[in-house]
Amino acid sequence: MKALCSWIESRTGLCGWLAACGAARVPGRVCLCRSLPFVLGFAFVFQAITGIFLLMRYCPSAASAWESVYWLQYEVQGGWLLRAVHHYCGQAVLVLVGVQFVVMILRGAYRAPREFVFWCVLLLGIVTLGLLLTGDLLAWDENSRSATLTRVNFLQSLPEVGGALFKLAAAGPEFGSLTLSQFTTLHALLLPAAFLVLLVLRWWFARRATTVEAAEAPAGSPYWPRQVAANLVGCLVFLTVVFALALAHGTTGDGRGVALGSPANPAEFYEAARPEWAFMGLYGMSEFKVFGGGGTVVHIFIAPSIMLCLFLLMPFTGRFKIGHVLNIVLVVVLLVGDVYLSYKIYARDDSDPLHQAAIRQSQLAAARIPVLIRHHGGIPPEGPLALLRNDPKTQGPALFKRHCATCHDWVGGAADDIKAEESSAPNLFAFGSREKIAGLLDPKQIAGDEYFGNTAFKRGKMVDFVREMFSDMEPEDLEDRNLLVMALSAEAKLPAQKVIDQKDAEQIAEGRELIVDYCTDCHQFGKSGRLGTAPELTGYASREWTVGIIANPADPRFYGKNNDRMQAYAESDDETKNLMTNREIEVLTDWLRGDWYEPEGSGQ
Amino acid sequence: MENVSSSGKNKPSCACGCAATPANEPRRGFLAKATTLVLGGAALGTPLIVGLISFLNPLRQKTQAGRFYRVATLEALPDDDTPLKFPIIADRKDAWTLHKNVPIGSVFLRRVGPKQIKALSVICPHAGCFIGYDAAAGGFLCPCHTAHFDLDGRREDPEDSPSPRDMDTLDGVEIRGDEIWVKYEQFQMGIAKKVVKR
Repeated sequence: MKALCSWIESRTGLCGWLAACGAARVPGRVCLCRSLPFVLGFAFVFQAITGIFLLMRYCPSAASAWESVYWLQYEVQGGWLLRAVHHYCGQAVLVLVGVQFVVMILRGAYRAPREFVFWCVLLLGIVTLGLLLTGDLLAWDENSRSATLTRVNFLQSLPEVGGALFKLAAAGPEFGSLTLSQFTTLHALLLPAAFLVLLVLRWWFARRATTVEAAEAPAGSPYWPRQVAANLVGCLVFLTVVFALALAHGTTGDGRGVALGSPANPAEFYEAARPEWAFMGLYGMSEFKVFGGGGTVVHIFIAPSIMLCLFLLMPFTGRFKIGHVLNIVLVVVLLVGDVYLSYKIYARDDSDPLHQAAIRQSQLAAARIPVLIRHHGGIPPEGPLALLRNDPKTQGPALFKRHCATCHDWVGGAADDIKAEESSAPNLFAFGSREKIAGLLDPKQIAGDEYFGNTAFKRGKMVDFVREMFSDMEPEDLEDRNLLVMALSAEAKLPAQKVIDQKDAEQIAEGRELIVDYCTDCHQFGKSGRLGTAPELTGYASREWTVGIIANPADPRFYGKNNDRMQAYAESDDETKNLMTNREIEVLTDWLRGDWYEPEGSGQ
Repeated sequence: MENVSSSGKNKPSCACGCAATPANEPRRGFLAKATTLVLGGAALGTPLIVGLISFLNPLRQKTQAGRFYRVATLEALPDDDTPLKFPIIADRKDAWTLHKNVPIGSVFLRRVGPKQIKALSVICPHAGCFIGYDAAAGGFLCPCHTAHFDLDGRREDPEDSPSPRDMDTLDGVEIRGDEIWVKYEQFQMGIAKKVVKR
């Protein structure tokens, strides 16, 4: 052992160097409070190790970035934990650097002989911000793409060079695959290298400063092993915090660790896009125009640059007593201002219904997409958005809002109710269900707002008929009406009524005969009655029927020439001439009918 | 080594006052060193373990082989015993991506009777190159390291062949109507024994 050591020592000098490091003395007793720089170094090693493992599974391109993160988050054992600890450790590094920075200023330790130590810490902070900003984009979900895009877009506001800078930062005229590849290189290679160099320099300068001071200071305790042990205890405390954050959302379920949003959609901008908390103060400063009407350039570029210059000059201004006091005041003002502006942004967003709605919408999509991917057996080559685009559960409401909610309500008393801009047509909630049809055949309801109240049919034959037939009913008429409702609703073949439709097969068969008796003077049902006066009742509210009426309500099969105001959404055979594509109408129909995939045991 | 004090004056260099009373020289005991090493191991081991759990995930994944696929019709095969190469068309899962109806591999089919078909894997047991049919020699030839096989897939020169075993036969061949269905399997390379790869 001795021989081995002396051989290594003679060739490398490492042993002597290590021994010298270990023999170095700390002033006073061994203390946990001195472990901050060591913990920062450890945090870097932690990020390097977890980062390398992440990089092994990450594919930086617009077509696979989100997918590979999805794979890690949902399919790889422990992948979610790896992501989560890397994420939270990154945030914690910023806190560590920030605490060191503030402590150095408050205690005057930025002055001689520690000017270079201070500058290193300042630059470490800037590199950490860069790491957070570049790392944020890599998941390529809605928020990360949109929020990073706005931040890079700010470059364009710089006069003359803005356009060129944006192209360089995005590695092209638009955000896309090359942006991801460039940000990955920055995040996983260049910035960590800069961080490491600064760490080493910081350590080197601090060691020199200590030697300068040691001449005056009394002999303290040796560094090895007790101070190292204290430093390591500091590291373990740090680790505990990181893991507590990573495990805060539980260890099971899709939301564990750091939630992955729904995939970035270049055709849409995420309305609730916000920067990470570290940049929230800056965002607030620009949002609330702290510096008046100076605009983006002043708030995003000039003001932070001035602050940076003030920080860089602190070791010199701090030589004077008044300068030191002013430096402390500046730091305190900035800290309080940052917290205050961040708080104002969070408070504003919390009370903004549009912002909250956008978040809810995004969370719904984010929760839905793993379900769709599992159901499909994987992600199609066209990407996960293709699955989402054809999903009635998430796309239905959007299509309804865009095309139907000008007149129709979709209100069932739940949080996701859709209220029409100006309600002037039947409420389409639970369309085709027994409850809905029972109301239609109820003299008290048929001319109300829920049904024909705001339409031309308010004074139509159907309202007259219902009033005449069902106003003063004998008990057996009531029974007839019940059978009618069951039979007509069974035509819809609603997934939600599958069980009761099967159970009530006998009554439904009876009801079908009653439909012929009651309704076929105006409506066609099976072979009875004829088209042209009122909508066909064969397959009423079924998928095919609903698609048909949306495509063209004025078709003789539906309202014919009696059609009130409803538009034909797919009148032409040429899809490009229509208001909606056939696929969109199918998705909308499936949503209206509650017909979409839900995994077993989801309680729906 | 680290010192947060701004000067050497006799004021506490640390908020907790630890520098005010220099402690006695601690003994550099074995216990202290061992504790330090254990703490260091725990600190470094944690990220390594978390990373390794994900890193080892591929061991849980299985190949897609082992199912029957419709490969060809009986008419597609010549009446003599010339082997023909057919692609296996199926859904291929590449990590997260599901490719529908794409070639996932190939097999050689050869008619040995009116309704009797033999299937051979095209993958050379030596290093996994795709073996070709050598019409001139009336056998198979692997282009990478020139392993020769006869029509039944037996090595021509078992002693000298680079291949450690004969070509892998696919034993699950079924005739359903006029369709040929093959149970597609892959085998571990480089060993003398034919072992299904999972």
